[in-house]
Amino acid sequence: MKSRPEALGSLEHVVLLAVIRLGSNAYGVTVRRQIENATGRDISIGAVYATLSRLESKGLIESCTGEPTAERGGRAKRYFRMNAKGEDALRQTHDIIVKLSAGLKGLEFT
Amino acid sequence: MTRQRALHMATWAFSWLAPPSQREALLGDLAEEYSHRANTGSASAAVRWYLQQVCASALPLLWVRVSQAGWLATAGVAVLAYIAVGVIEFIVDRDIVASYASDGGSFNPLSMAITFPPVVLIGYFATRFRPNAAIVLAAMMLLSVTVMTVWANEIMPLWYRVAYFLVGPSAVFLGSAFRSLRAHGS
Repeated sequence: MKSRPEALGSLEHVVLLAVIRLGSNAYGVTVRRQIENATGRDISIGAVYATLSRLESKGLIESCTGEPTAERGGRAKRYFRMNAKGEDALRQTHDIIVKLSAGLKGLEFT
Repeated sequence: MTRQRALHMATWAFSWLAPPSQREALLGDLAEEYSHRANTGSASAAVRWYLQQVCASALPLLWVRVSQAGWLATAGVAVLAYIAVGVIEFIVDRDIVASYASDGGSFNPLSMAITFPPVVLIGYFATRFRPNAAIVLAAMMLLSVTVMTVWANEIMPLWYRVAYFLVGPSAVFLGSAFRSLRAHGS
């Protein structure tokens, strides 16, 4: 029997959406910038990595190491991408939000 | 403090906080964003941003380290080691010290001297199984010594109290240091 995917926490949700949006260019810097641009919040790189690490340990995303570059002091990037389990969790979370917000007076979602 | 020195210290703190598996990527991300900000804006604003990032990242990164360390297993090893220390102390006090000490061995340095090497060994093996188990074991020993000195029926001499606080945790840390040295040497 297929187990029901778990719902995501709010930061997990935001980080996962940023990872999808960035596609093959999702790594710490770009994920942090994407969230900062969308939310207006100056989120710390540590908080982004803590969330990415939690998502990875839950098996919702995968990571791989990129090439080192000079502007990073010769350090390699770590790229993230969502997998099928992550997609299920995202869908589940979205369903919950849609169900809970449906029919609320004064709130109109597109 | 100069700007460079502040950055150097912040980088050192950040690399200590970062989980080893993510250290390189984290430091690289921080360097990349800093370099972008320093090139497009003011250098002092970039330094401020860097220091603020390091401070704001401390708690989340510590949390990742703790959760990745497998603390349940560490606590389990520490508890087993603590029981082993208790058994050794009991045997030493009952079978060895009591037969040599004329005053019944209540506050006898012989007990500490005999117990020290086995506790070093316990610290060694605890670290071998779980790298952080020695820290937990030492904390448990300090806690139990505090409880015992507060609620002890007999009045302990000051030297005994101080020695009691120092000897056990020191032995554990010594064993842990031996293990770490050996692991790094091989």
